[in-house]
Amino acid sequence: MDRPNNGHRKTFLEKMGEKFPFFQRKNKSKLYLSDRQPLTLQGKIGLVIAHLVLIIWSVIIIWPLYQMVVSAFNGLQDGYLVLNRNFEFSLKHFEYLFNETLYLAWVRNTIFISVSTALLTLLFVSFTGYAYSRYRFKGRKASLMAILLIQTIPVFAGITAFFTMHSILSSVLPYFTRQMMLILIYSGGAIAANTFILKGYIDSISTELDDAAKIDGCSNMQIYRLIIMPVAKPMLMIIGLWSFIGPFMDFLMPRVLLTSPRSYTLAAGLFTLVNDFRTMNQPAFAAGGLLTAIPIVLLFVSLQGQLVSGLSKGSVKG
Amino acid sequence: MRKYNRYLVDEIGNTYERKNQYLLEIALLQEEMEKVGGQERKALKEKVQELLKNKGKHPYHQAYKAYEEEKSLFWKGLKKESKAYESTLEKDLSRNVRIFKVQDFKARKKEIFFKNYIELGYEATYYYEEAKLEQKYYPEIISTYTEYQKHLKEAKEQRQKLSAEEEAQAKERFKEYKQEKKEELKNSIESLKKKRKEKLISDKALKNGKKELKHRYKKALTLKALEAPKKANQELIQNLKHELKEKPKQLKKTLNADIADKRRKIPIEVEKTKPVIAYSTIFLPGLGQLLNKQFVKAGLFLLASFFIYFAAIPYALGYGNYQGDGISGLITLAEGAPRVYTSMMFLIEGILAIFLVLIAIGFLGISLKDIKGVEEKSIRGIRPKNWFETLENIKQEGFPYVVSFPALFVIIFIVVVPVITTLMLSFTNMDPQHQSKFSWIGIDNYRTLILGEGLAGSVFWQILGWTLIWTFVATTFAILIGFLLALITNHERILGKKIFRTIYLLPWAVPAFITILFFSIMFSPNGALTDIISNVFGERIIVKHSTNLTRLTLIGLQGWLGSAYIFLLTTGVLQAIPSDLYEAAEIDGATIWQKTRRITMPIVLFQTAPLLITQYTFNFNNFSIIYLFHGGGPFNPTRYGNLAGGTDILVSYIYKLTMVNQYQAISAAIILFVSLGVMFFAYLGFRNSKAFKEERL
Amino acid sequence: MKVVLKNIGKKYEGREEFTLKDINLEVEDQEFCVILGPSGCGKTTMLRMIAGLNSITEGDLLFNDKRMNKVAPKDRDIAMVFQSYALYPHMTVYENMAFSLTMRKERKSLIDERVQEAAKVLQMEENLYVKPSDISGGQRQRVALGRAMVRNPKVFLMDEPLSNLDAKLREHMRVELIRLHKQLGTTTIYVTHDQTEAMTMASKIVLMDDGIIQQVGKPDDLYMRPKNLFVAAFIGSPSMNIIKGKIEQGRFVSDNRLMQITPTETHKEGLKAYEGKAVSAGIRPERFESGGEYGDTFNVNVEVVEMLGKEKILYGKLDDGHELIISTPGHYKYEGGERYSFGYELEAIHYFDQETGERIN
Repeated sequence: MDRPNNGHRKTFLEKMGEKFPFFQRKNKSKLYLSDRQPLTLQGKIGLVIAHLVLIIWSVIIIWPLYQMVVSAFNGLQDGYLVLNRNFEFSLKHFEYLFNETLYLAWVRNTIFISVSTALLTLLFVSFTGYAYSRYRFKGRKASLMAILLIQTIPVFAGITAFFTMHSILSSVLPYFTRQMMLILIYSGGAIAANTFILKGYIDSISTELDDAAKIDGCSNMQIYRLIIMPVAKPMLMIIGLWSFIGPFMDFLMPRVLLTSPRSYTLAAGLFTLVNDFRTMNQPAFAAGGLLTAIPIVLLFVSLQGQLVSGLSKGSVKG
Repeated sequence: MRKYNRYLVDEIGNTYERKNQYLLEIALLQEEMEKVGGQERKALKEKVQELLKNKGKHPYHQAYKAYEEEKSLFWKGLKKESKAYESTLEKDLSRNVRIFKVQDFKARKKEIFFKNYIELGYEATYYYEEAKLEQKYYPEIISTYTEYQKHLKEAKEQRQKLSAEEEAQAKERFKEYKQEKKEELKNSIESLKKKRKEKLISDKALKNGKKELKHRYKKALTLKALEAPKKANQELIQNLKHELKEKPKQLKKTLNADIADKRRKIPIEVEKTKPVIAYSTIFLPGLGQLLNKQFVKAGLFLLASFFIYFAAIPYALGYGNYQGDGISGLITLAEGAPRVYTSMMFLIEGILAIFLVLIAIGFLGISLKDIKGVEEKSIRGIRPKNWFETLENIKQEGFPYVVSFPALFVIIFIVVVPVITTLMLSFTNMDPQHQSKFSWIGIDNYRTLILGEGLAGSVFWQILGWTLIWTFVATTFAILIGFLLALITNHERILGKKIFRTIYLLPWAVPAFITILFFSIMFSPNGALTDIISNVFGERIIVKHSTNLTRLTLIGLQGWLGSAYIFLLTTGVLQAIPSDLYEAAEIDGATIWQKTRRITMPIVLFQTAPLLITQYTFNFNNFSIIYLFHGGGPFNPTRYGNLAGGTDILVSYIYKLTMVNQYQAISAAIILFVSLGVMFFAYLGFRNSKAFKEERL
Repeated sequence: MKVVLKNIGKKYEGREEFTLKDINLEVEDQEFCVILGPSGCGKTTMLRMIAGLNSITEGDLLFNDKRMNKVAPKDRDIAMVFQSYALYPHMTVYENMAFSLTMRKERKSLIDERVQEAAKVLQMEENLYVKPSDISGGQRQRVALGRAMVRNPKVFLMDEPLSNLDAKLREHMRVELIRLHKQLGTTTIYVTHDQTEAMTMASKIVLMDDGIIQQVGKPDDLYMRPKNLFVAAFIGSPSMNIIKGKIEQGRFVSDNRLMQITPTETHKEGLKAYEGKAVSAGIRPERFESGGEYGDTFNVNVEVVEMLGKEKILYGKLDDGHELIISTPGHYKYEGGERYSFGYELEAIHYFDQETGERIN
């Protein structure tokens, strides 16, 4: 038998209270409703300290972010951030961002790259994850080991070659831009680790489901499309989301591969607002950073449970 | 001397008598030979040789020759006869039925002809059995097909007769029905919502209830819509078309499968005893399959041949390259080539060429194995697979290969080729003086690095040292903070858990490059934090001017950034620890500290260990924070030379060497070092991970 | 539909030996055939071969004399119920049940008709539009059955369908399954390791062990006339007492000489040939005679008495420590720690050749 929880007991008491008013009052004052033991003095002090620690760290986290928000809206600054008490609300940094910089182009680029990366990764990985989970084929062992090995190689190991490879590819396919190369690098680099994660997830789906589908008339491809993929959707969402966020966060690869400001992603683009003297405008950077951060933060906050569970389930990826 | 077995064997080990009397005779003699020795053996041997020599005179052989002649006559005759038969068929039959009927006719003829030769050889037996099966199935196929054709025709005729009036009526009815149902749905949802407000049902129940109602509504509408005659007819036609396509197909598949089964049970007899075709056609995949009479397969392998001789080999020899010179370009590295040609291009194209050649060799190998397998099996008595069987095989066993091929392709060209390029590059002298043309210099780069020589190598050890310190301290710091915060926040008496959790998530959620750059701005000489620090200490302290202070700040910053992730991770694990563990410990009299140390820590550590290790790997390669915060600075040319700054770690150093200073070769050597290090860490991480252990590798 | 297995053999790829070899079995139309056996005996493999989920290495599988070896599972006119129910979690109950017909591109009105019909039989009409995760285990089981019924199959295949339910529900579903079978009259092949299920539901039991069919017959046959020692020991709970001994001068004498049995006249016929040879005698716990005074008797030291209400189970030992289980009506008086005398119901004794394990009488 479960212990009755507070909620249950309350409704019961409320009912009693409706019938016998005196009963209600008496119980409210005397009954110790909590499941937990009452605290000792020592415990109370400890509890206060604990709250204090948490609050201090919260301040440490919030203060710089708060400063960023403030400086994004502070009209009393020009090219440099001035963090003092003088504040005048203004949207001029946003105006600058939209009118004087290529911010919108960067947003477009980043979203294009992110979406394509996510889709391409999902396409590759959903197939490999399914194949590795459900089929015992020749070379499976060896290739799994290879995958384990490959996913440990850092992406930048190939930076010197990417440039040249792009020129070879673009000579064959004239429309193959550097951004597409970037997409290929992102999604190609993500295959190994995500295959492992998805394979683990599909492994946990009963193979009886496949059998049932086979009897119901599904081909291999239909089992993949109509059964396994929908069932594995939570994990696919997580993989897709991570691949989507990746290009927002990455700084190195666009810096290496993309050469014209017009083709930059947000990370590379916003960096020019800080480090290049010709284009320097720190408040505009704060504004751009804020605009970039808000949707991602909202995404993370609303999906935190899934993102974290995805991480620990994968347990191979960092 | 050729050796023949007395019996033929199939794949599952059943044995069959030989029908080829000539081979049987030899096999029997050879069997005899095994048993006796000396003179007798010699006599037997001579006898066998006699037989082998006078193959043509053997009565069985002559009978068989006669059969072959008869057979070729029969095939020719059959062709004519079936044509004649086809012309007698009714004209209005559909093409498919025509084909089926002709097949059936042929099968009947075949049965009659081959029946006479069953005893002569397994080939005739096979044709006979095949014909019998075909006769069994084709009539059924034809009748099924015509039946569905009839139904379809009827349905189509019906369509013509549909009255517009009825249709309009049905539409009207549907409209009313929809209205009615919509109302119903609305009311039901309303009442559910009301129930929720009165707290009679939970939020989840409301959601599910709504979903259920909507499903029900949709279903009802679809069904109602089908009451309209036109739509119903449309659906019927669709269904019939599907059946018309599927049913005969399915029957044919069964027929083919049954034939395939017979193929597995009727052995084959061949005179050769060694896989001769396999080795003689090794260099032209497809030809051997052709000789084995597997025609479709032969076609596919011919495509592979095409790839080998018109793509892989020419490319490897330097034809069709973008700039390079195939494999030989790897050796010359564009030495002596025109000025616009770069060594890099030659290097990469050389590697590509090697890959193409490897694929080509793979094709050759697969082809050889395939032909050899077929030949060796047929020597034992196993009939080669026909295209139907091969296709079924491919469908079943080839599926994983087909679907993972794109991924494999991308991995090879995006990961493997670049990595190999980097590896090769580390053995060249690509530096500012040798950008477009460089050459092989062996392990000089590694020597420079290890001995700490030269402009680029002299700081290697210093940077490595700081990288290791950075990795260890920064990560551990972040882990400690995150873990501690998670422990405190998850204590049952802490108020405002949700708020704290959301706040602690922020450093992880805000893209790191934004926060790092912002901190960098605040720590700049005029930055806000510089002012605050100066006020606190009473003297002007500029963090970015001092190597040590910058390093310290970086570690602190990483603590700020990295703890959020650890916090989330630990929280997840902590919430999953069953509370009875703690209750049991409490009853045993454990203090809070003991509970933490004996229960919480081991569980959390055990579950997050692989992820924690990846955190170390991550920081080992954490380019963003180092580069964005201060570009690896402050610069201190007397200690760190002109290429690196005081806080540069290996990755940022690599970046500078490659992208800024053009010391690509030496940077490649460092990459190799780093990658090995990272792989080692990663290995530590996944060695104990669940995914790795549970996989029956 | 009549299902016939002719010399069926199965060899998994990469394995040397046959998992199943020379399986011959006929399941008549409308029969409820239970394949019973310990885990790993090949019963599930056999079922999956009938379903077409595993390939058949050799032999013929015939449905109404039509060879089915290579026919795709969906074209076999079968339906299968799985141990874990294998409901598609992302579809509603309705969609689950309709899935096979949807795959066949059946007309929607026909699909609806069939689904509603099945739902009615299974009393699931109220839950058609919810996801499987929102209903109870017993209901899921019913959905799995419904999904099978909607196809209107000629054969039902069930792979331990009740083993995921709790004891009470299992009993209930057992009755329901029998009723359903009576109602639909579809040939059913049912795999289980639970002999109670087999005994209560089957019109024919196929007992398997080690890839070989040990005995085929009605539940009665298997209980009353087990063909060999394995069947004797496997069927019945508590299981049969097996006593090793010899035939000496036409009498059965146990190895410890504590039990001596005079076979009935009919049994004697068969036992003649075994004079002086090793023979095992099997006696069901309920076939001892309480308070035996006449004829062959023996003494047993009762250690534990389990009172089950309508019967008492006595766990006892002979003087040399050989264990015996005896079942008596519940109202008889027996105490643990006492010594009692028992006799045998002679006609209920089974004799087995110890060497081959085959039944003698």
